[in-house]
Amino acid sequence: MAEKPIQGEKRVFMTGNEVVAWAALAAKAEIMYGYPITPQNEIMHYWTRMAPKYEKRFLQTEDELSAGFTTIGGVLAGRKAFTATAGPGNVLMQEPQAMAEMMRIPIVTIIQQRGGPSTATVIYSQQEVTLTTYGGNGEGLRIVFSPANHQDLFDYTIKAFNTAWKYRFPTFVLGDGYQAKLRESLTIYDPEERGIQLIEPETTLGKLRVSSDTEPRHIRNTYNTEEELLEVLTQYFEDYEKCAREIVEHDQFDCDDAEIVVVSHGVVSRAGKGAVQELRKQGYKVGYFRPITLRPFPGEALRRVADKAKTLLFVESAQGQMAKLAKEAIFGSTVAVETLFKPGVGVTSEEIVTKVKGMK
Amino acid sequence: MTMIPQMPKSWRLESKPHKFCPGCGHGLVLKALGEAIDELGIQDKLVYGCDIGCSLLSWDFFNVDSVQTHHGRTTPVMTGVKRANPDAICLAYMGDGGGYAIGSQHLVNAAARNERITAILVNNCNYAMTGGQMAPTSLPGMKTETTPYGRDIKEHGYPTQGPEMVAAITREGAYIARGTVANIKQLKGFIKKALENQMAGNGFSFVEALATCPTNWRTNAKDTWAFVENEMPKFFKVGEIKNPAAKEGE
Amino acid sequence: MFGGVPVDDRIVEAYIGEYASGKSEVAVNRAIHLKMTGRKVTIVDLDLVEPFYTLRPIKKKLIEMGIDAVAWETKETMGLGEAGSVIKPEMRWVLRRTGDVILDIGYGVEGAKVLNLIEGADTEENLRIYVVLNVGRPMTASVNDIVEYARGLGHVDGVINNSHLGDDTTVAFVEEGAKVVTEAARQLKLPVIATYMDKKFKPAMSGEVDKMGNPLCFLERHMVNTFW
Repeated sequence: MAEKPIQGEKRVFMTGNEVVAWAALAAKAEIMYGYPITPQNEIMHYWTRMAPKYEKRFLQTEDELSAGFTTIGGVLAGRKAFTATAGPGNVLMQEPQAMAEMMRIPIVTIIQQRGGPSTATVIYSQQEVTLTTYGGNGEGLRIVFSPANHQDLFDYTIKAFNTAWKYRFPTFVLGDGYQAKLRESLTIYDPEERGIQLIEPETTLGKLRVSSDTEPRHIRNTYNTEEELLEVLTQYFEDYEKCAREIVEHDQFDCDDAEIVVVSHGVVSRAGKGAVQELRKQGYKVGYFRPITLRPFPGEALRRVADKAKTLLFVESAQGQMAKLAKEAIFGSTVAVETLFKPGVGVTSEEIVTKVKGMK
Repeated sequence: MTMIPQMPKSWRLESKPHKFCPGCGHGLVLKALGEAIDELGIQDKLVYGCDIGCSLLSWDFFNVDSVQTHHGRTTPVMTGVKRANPDAICLAYMGDGGGYAIGSQHLVNAAARNERITAILVNNCNYAMTGGQMAPTSLPGMKTETTPYGRDIKEHGYPTQGPEMVAAITREGAYIARGTVANIKQLKGFIKKALENQMAGNGFSFVEALATCPTNWRTNAKDTWAFVENEMPKFFKVGEIKNPAAKEGE
Repeated sequence: MFGGVPVDDRIVEAYIGEYASGKSEVAVNRAIHLKMTGRKVTIVDLDLVEPFYTLRPIKKKLIEMGIDAVAWETKETMGLGEAGSVIKPEMRWVLRRTGDVILDIGYGVEGAKVLNLIEGADTEENLRIYVVLNVGRPMTASVNDIVEYARGLGHVDGVINNSHLGDDTTVAFVEEGAKVVTEAARQLKLPVIATYMDKKFKPAMSGEVDKMGNPLCFLERHMVNTFW
């Protein structure tokens, strides 16, 4: 039997893409399906290098449609399977993701956002929020984590597998090109040694029929009447609402007496944190709010913050994709809204400080 | 004395020197194509499409209306142009991924429908632009970034023989050939016939060109040529596979 | 003297290593050090997978110091990594220049084979290929891992201990790395050229060698980890 990839804990120095590969190993993922697209290629490069040693499998598919559907196949066969993509690949990935939503198939996908739309840049953005949270031709029955640093990337990739397999919604880790290539230190660990129970996968298709009494599994994603579909979806919405309470996550500080609250996610929240800390030192009453799950969105928590603040400042490397989710979540609030949108471009804490100082 | 570079007339001066790596096969294929366009006199009628990957660097290569598409979608875009404007000479230019992986279903269907377009596919056995991952045409045992221990036939099958696949699907009217940058004159001949096949309204025309990629093969000049001249033809036979003109009593 | 290797003629060094081993930082520091001793130096960015993530941000700074930096400018290129150029033609002929040449070679399964793309690399007598090792990188963390890794790289002339954890580096970590790297080097029958450390640790170090007796070199951090 293959040795465990990580024994105990270790402090290491890695790039984001590698972190994902190691986290998948730590989560006992068994097979990766993928197609080359920058900036997530190194996830495949590292997975294929480590695969033989840890008896893992890999398939480079002919495109992202196939990568998504083969991942579905792997999951239905009872394996912890995952895939990764970016940009235009993410657009193609919506086809299989919609099927996973409809059929409650727990596939895990890592997205490393790049400039968009179309080919745009291969570098960085936060412009795939809408696509990842609500893509496909459905109601966005998905779970999306937005990590901000490599420790998050490791922790939440492991969590993504558990979350997907426990609640049975396609789950995403929404990174970006900067996080993919940045080098940082983090602690990698064996989750089970830390008391994190790893959910065991179940086989849907191909389970050995023990006797002729065992019924075969027939699964589909089509329905005959509108009423049938509504019934199924209504149940799904209930399930989603219930698990949303357990899954939703956010981080905040200094919001209680804040006049302006900086709302940011992912790697931009690092700039947000730095800016808020700096502004507080200079006597400004600012707060920090970071959604960690973009779906389900931490609406209740943000509403409580919005009720006390004068202005919410939305900062993202997109033209308001996160802001849109937030505004919908706090509909009815009379808080003022300001924005710092830089689609496809990084945001520094200095820029946020300057913006806040220029406000009101 | 001023040296006048021997560039095809259809080449665009302003985008030269081109951006391909030194030693890249694309430069040679595009030269053969440029000369073919000149000799056929179709520069004003040509519509040129290129894919994602290194072929993208040819987006402003010619003095011809050009479009850079999404990965694998050059064939359908050119199909769309031709269906809307049959007078245009439509050329889809792509790499091994754009034709045999993500674009294969479009290639196969265009061939099946006998679309009157010309597709040129540059085969250098890897996904060069994204850093050298395995391609459908990577050779057995070849080390790539996603086959770090070498392409295993049991795992990944044999290299795709695209022209043979396309030839199996097409019926009368299709022109199919495989050339190589190791024999530019022959390659140009194939490209010309492929374009003439479109001009005659016969059907789908497809030319694969074996090409060099020293950057990702990590080979010096000598080994680069050895690979394309000796290794690649072991899996990819150079020559004409289907030629409607030949059938007519040639 | 540098790492005990006598410096005759000119210096031609290729730095290879795992992804994020710190080879670019080592290469840049080496180039600057040579320049400061009055030598003519060229540094070449041969990272073919990510041609712009390393030297590009500091190219201007290096040129101002009088170092010839052969690297792409973003403006010169079209996109990156799937819509952009890879090798700059000048890079192929870089050994025809006079003076020292420092080659920063990116990662990739083929290790030092990138040197096949440089004209004259096979006949350059002064060429030394050094593997930069960071035990903080999981695939080169143990003696066995390093030995296996180095054996797959092709011909190598020496190893460099650049063990670090970015901002979390400690002297103890570097020294621990020195132990591992030195033992691996012994098994590979290769010299340890030096142990590199962030210069902020200089006051904590007494003497010119690490605990294993390898020469110490201090790094100025030029590679900034921020947006470009």
